Amino acid sequence: MPSIKRIAARAAAAVMAAVMLGTCVAYADEPYDGYNYDWWEDPVPSQNGYVVDKVITGADIGIGSLNEPSDMFISDSEEIYIADTAYKSTLTPNLKGRIVITDKNFKLKTSVEYLDFSDVQDWVNMKKEELAENVAEYQKCTDLYFDGPTGVFVDNDDVVYVADTANDRVVAFSVEVDDSGIGYGKVIRVFTRPDSDVYDAKTTFNPSKVLVDAAGNVYICIKSITKGAVVFSKDGEFNGYFGANRVEATADVLMNAFWKLIFTREQVKKMQRSVPVEISNFDIDEDNFIYTVTESKTVETDVIKKLNSAGTNIFINLGYSDYTFGDALTKYYRGQTYSSQITDVDIGEGGTINLLDLKTGRVFQYDNECNLLFIFGGKGSQKGTFTTVNAVESLGTKVYVLDGRKASVTVFRQTEFGDLVHEAITLFNSGKYEEARGPWQEVLRRDSNYWLAYIGLGNAYLNEGDFETAMEYFLYNSRSGYNDAFKGWRMNFIRDNFTVIAIIIVGSLVLVYVVASLRGKAKAKKRAEAERLFKAQNKGRED
Amino acid sequence: MRFNLDMPKWKWPFYIMVHPFEGFEDLRWKKAYSMRVALVIVALFFIVSVCEQLMTGFLFNRNYVKIFNIVPIIVQTLVVFFTWVIGNWALCTLFDGEGTMKNICVNTAYALVPMLIGKVINIILSNCLQNSESAFIVFVSYLTILWTAILLISGMRTVHQYSIPKTLLFMLITIFAMVVIIILLVLLVSLFQQVYVFVYSIYTELLYRFSSLEPTTLVLIMIGAVVLVAAIVITAYTLYEKHQLKKEMKKLKS
Repeated sequence: MPSIKRIAARAAAAVMAAVMLGTCVAYADEPYDGYNYDWWEDPVPSQNGYVVDKVITGADIGIGSLNEPSDMFISDSEEIYIADTAYKSTLTPNLKGRIVITDKNFKLKTSVEYLDFSDVQDWVNMKKEELAENVAEYQKCTDLYFDGPTGVFVDNDDVVYVADTANDRVVAFSVEVDDSGIGYGKVIRVFTRPDSDVYDAKTTFNPSKVLVDAAGNVYICIKSITKGAVVFSKDGEFNGYFGANRVEATADVLMNAFWKLIFTREQVKKMQRSVPVEISNFDIDEDNFIYTVTESKTVETDVIKKLNSAGTNIFINLGYSDYTFGDALTKYYRGQTYSSQITDVDIGEGGTINLLDLKTGRVFQYDNECNLLFIFGGKGSQKGTFTTVNAVESLGTKVYVLDGRKASVTVFRQTEFGDLVHEAITLFNSGKYEEARGPWQEVLRRDSNYWLAYIGLGNAYLNEGDFETAMEYFLYNSRSGYNDAFKGWRMNFIRDNFTVIAIIIVGSLVLVYVVASLRGKAKAKKRAEAERLFKAQNKGRED
Repeated sequence: MRFNLDMPKWKWPFYIMVHPFEGFEDLRWKKAYSMRVALVIVALFFIVSVCEQLMTGFLFNRNYVKIFNIVPIIVQTLVVFFTWVIGNWALCTLFDGEGTMKNICVNTAYALVPMLIGKVINIILSNCLQNSESAFIVFVSYLTILWTAILLISGMRTVHQYSIPKTLLFMLITIFAMVVIIILLVLLVSLFQQVYVFVYSIYTELLYRFSSLEPTTLVLIMIGAVVLVAAIVITAYTLYEKHQLKKEMKKLKS
């Protein structure tokens, strides 16, 4: 019969094992460490706001494997469009790439494998005449198959726009399914290389990304053009360029500007021209603002811009030009230096901005005021880390990241902490500081490093008129907030202690006056005495 | 404050502060240079610099106070001050400057007083003002820096009895000399570090070889060895000298 001691020992062992198992599960959680930046722009460890929900490959969708997919789009009808760029079929050798369409749970709807030009026969005939001498180009722009599509966009009417890179065109089509069950695109319009003086004759037309605004204007991002995105009107007319970056003021550029003042026109022509870096990707939000990103290792100007319809960068006008996006500075980590290379941007629910960093495979999430919320993801081969990230999208509380090399889509879901922060920041940004207090306090309880929570709580107390507590929260967290709280505190202090301050000032003035006059009198007395003595000594010698 | 030229020594800096041009002349004429007062001023300057970093109000504090590091402050105050004094003395004695090291040190220290007072005022102001009133702080700091610069030029001119252009020229060259001194110092430190690393590697090597030995004994043995070598060298040298002397004596005799 087992003794009580032995039973107790066994029970203890069981409990220990359970605890060990529990901790093991907790530790095997995420392959990346959550971190955030504090007021000093130092990285500090933080709770994860997003964790991996699932990883979807082509096999999971049921279409074989994806082959270097390079873009993903989630339409308003919550369908996911993936541009499967390097897809090849044994049946049709001309086919290079397809568009895979699934619903939001990655259940396959159809996959667009060829195009149907029957609706635009007039246009095809016109092109045939126009390009009678240039058969290759004609064949390219009326190709029935895709050739490496790298960009996909779907507008409100479910018209799909595909940037068909190697075919030098952007096709707009509606998705249909033929009798044999294969999806195809009924072409509505084709956008090709514009025949305009503004468009440089030497520049190629290789669209890489495409986007359509509410008015139906089509914006095409082209890698070889530094003037910004190429804009077409709804009817396919070339409208010019949109949203060029500025040239970064490096020493070289400044030197060039200096020489230009001195040189003759011929000399200037021969000089190397300083051109900005081209934009590499964009997204559009509900209010028709277009966000562009620039993927460059070296450039720091205009890495991300929020453009209104006139092409003006709003982030600069708000005074956000000092903001650094991505990792704060060039970092040195595990034996190599890197700086962020933002490759995709996505505007999610409530204006949260998700940026995708190609270099580190991380997603940086900002709110609509450019406050950093979360950093998640990373490089590696585990679930939740990536090799070559290509696109980020979001739907509701989930974030989807497309990895080209791994040919998979990783779905991130918000943690409880993520929910809390989002709840708090939404209330905070709509000015409801009081209501946001509860969530912020809960955020701080879970992560005392979370910088934004201090600002949120500070604002709550400031609103309430509790300046002293507000100052405590703002100290080394927000200079402008501290300034406002301090202003109020100082005003209150002077008002409350006015009598004391007035008495001290008047008293000290009186004291100074009395002391000075007393000393003056004593001095005068002394001098008079000295004079008298002097006179007495020198009596008789005066004449 | 009223000044009489027979005032106590601690009053001189204040007198000089309000009489930038004749003050130093009077100091020179009265021979009232006081090293003690000068060192107190330098020490206060250092302490106020530390306070400036720690106690300036958050709104105006641009320092990285998350981690307090005293080394940069030591370099910015004490090292700069003493290299200035040494560099200036080393240069100007070669070019007919009349100042001794002590006089240069005292004049430079006295010239720092306005800046010291300005820093104290700014620390207090920064805790009472808000962002839009920063002009006061900027005004005070510029004014006191300018004042210190004028005092420094006047002090250097008086202590060396130079003309103004010559003073300015030598102040510029002194800055260059300071750079040279600091480079040499860094070189020296790194050299000593090399020597230390060399000795330490010998020590570890010996520890491995004679693992039965206690480290303390090994240190004692190493010191003993060094002393022994030094003693041998010294005795050999003295013997050699004696030998040479004998030779010379012989020569003289013959």
